[in-house]
Amino acid sequence: MRLGFAVKVLGPPSLKSHDTRRWQNHPHLSVSLAYLRDIFLYLHRQDIRMYRMASDLAPYVSHPDLPEFHSQIEDCSAELAAVGEMAADYDLRLSFHLQLSTVLNANDEAIAHQSAQLVTAQARILEGMGLGPHAVVVTHVGGIYGDRDAALERFARRYEDLPAPARSRLALEHDDRRFSVGDILWLYQRTGVPLVFDYLHFRNHNPEGMAAMEALETCLRTWPVGVKPKIHFSSPRTAMRVVERKDTKGGAASSLMRAPRSIQHADFIDPFQFIDFIGEAMSQAMPAFDVMLETKAKDLALLHLRGHLDRFAPDTIVDGDDHGNRRAPQ
Amino acid sequence: MGTEERRSERTSRVLVAVMNSHRDYEIARERGWYRIPYERAPSRVGADYLAFYQTSVFDEDRWAVNYYATAMRYHVVSRRSLLPDEPDHPRADALYYRIDIGPLLRLSPPIPSQRLRRISFIPTTLERLLHAEEINDLWCGSPGEERLWRAFKESGIGVERRYPLREDAPEYTVDFALFCKQGRVGVCVEGAPPVRNVRMVREFPLIDEYAANALGWTIVQLGHRDLARPPATCVEAIMKVVGRLGGVARTGGIQDRGAHVRRGTPTRVTDA
Repeated sequence: MRLGFAVKVLGPPSLKSHDTRRWQNHPHLSVSLAYLRDIFLYLHRQDIRMYRMASDLAPYVSHPDLPEFHSQIEDCSAELAAVGEMAADYDLRLSFHLQLSTVLNANDEAIAHQSAQLVTAQARILEGMGLGPHAVVVTHVGGIYGDRDAALERFARRYEDLPAPARSRLALEHDDRRFSVGDILWLYQRTGVPLVFDYLHFRNHNPEGMAAMEALETCLRTWPVGVKPKIHFSSPRTAMRVVERKDTKGGAASSLMRAPRSIQHADFIDPFQFIDFIGEAMSQAMPAFDVMLETKAKDLALLHLRGHLDRFAPDTIVDGDDHGNRRAPQ
Repeated sequence: MGTEERRSERTSRVLVAVMNSHRDYEIARERGWYRIPYERAPSRVGADYLAFYQTSVFDEDRWAVNYYATAMRYHVVSRRSLLPDEPDHPRADALYYRIDIGPLLRLSPPIPSQRLRRISFIPTTLERLLHAEEINDLWCGSPGEERLWRAFKESGIGVERRYPLREDAPEYTVDFALFCKQGRVGVCVEGAPPVRNVRMVREFPLIDEYAANALGWTIVQLGHRDLARPPATCVEAIMKVVGRLGGVARTGGIQDRGAHVRRGTPTRVTDA
């Protein structure tokens, strides 16, 4: 089982996830790939074998008003291949996660078209890097727009309209208030899209009243033969939140104390929650899977969890690669 | 300066690279690119800007960072396609990063090296580049290392940061080097992860104290507890070791030319 984290790297100073310059300053995918190469070196050093790349890796690549950015992926074929080769050498499992603004089932045709363009672009980046089918683009269903059934149907239709290479890379995740595991299971049965189980979303939104192991196994079994499923895991935030407010009239700043919301990610992973959940899954002979950790402390949370696993579950939860090689204990 | 500009200075990454030939300078200025061997690229190659440390061949501009430029595009190409007039070069098939850059902007005043030292690459920020008084201000260290650096500067003690133990092994560096009349003192600051109890693998290898001693270095290790004390206390302890080695040797470098000048606004090379 691999453990991964998403996008931002907090361990070493000054590692950027992608070229964040605005369009006026000519950002470019090739600059993002140079940053990505630096991150891969860091991941390799820390023995981290799974990583979610920034969804803006190719800046403005499908922006309808900025055509000068549209050819970045073709222009970077050599650089994509070089970074992809490095990922293969380091045995890295890579993925994308579309932003919430990318809504395949949008009511607005223009938004839907733009979203499809972005899915296609991200799939082409993975293709350009020469990555196998385990490298996926994860998305949510989108909005309900007053009619759940129509929204699901619209997603299915738009999914089927995607070019085959994009369709083959897409994986679908349920969310914490709109579309449940039951909903995305319907979409799997309708389209064949593999499903990503998310522990925190599931705990927050489970209208079907499924058992966690049942929901997990349902999602795992949707992945094609030969492609290792992945899941998302995060713990709910329990710490106090300080919310900064600005008075709209006078502009005076103030801060409010707020209790955390159950849908918010914690900085770190609750090790006992993780061990109980993963341990139970492993005891039930489910298909093997990888775990993307979604935390605010990013790579630091992963490294910290490793320490906890070494201490509390050294024999049951093995953090390593697909070949049975176990990462050395810290 | 607006909030957005300040944020941009803080977040923009700069790679300070070495410019050691007039040809490379002409290529950068006229053709707008710089090259780095792919296999020997530093651990941080990604950047929004490139800046150039010019070596001894540049007369007036030597041993200083005089220019920087926006990084526009990174290509991975063979040396053969990069320099077609050298098709028989032994490394003709080797891969290089060709980094396309914008117009060279002149830093005024330049950022000198006090010790006229050899440098490979320095990853830094635009903020540091635009405000550095000398090369050693460019390195981004842990909070403890930065406090110690400020204490050295305030005390007027000439130290070099990230100094290699040997020129042929640049990955083995001490965090601070002091050059004494009867030897060298290397100060190693304990690598601090951003969160104290999260274990990380170090970016650079640990210094072997015995090997360092054999090369004429006296190593001073500073742990978290040392660094938690007032920096002046650490400096005092280090200077005791320096004292045992005859005190600091005069370097005779650019500092004698009065290089500590406040930085001004950068200008384009064409305006300079």
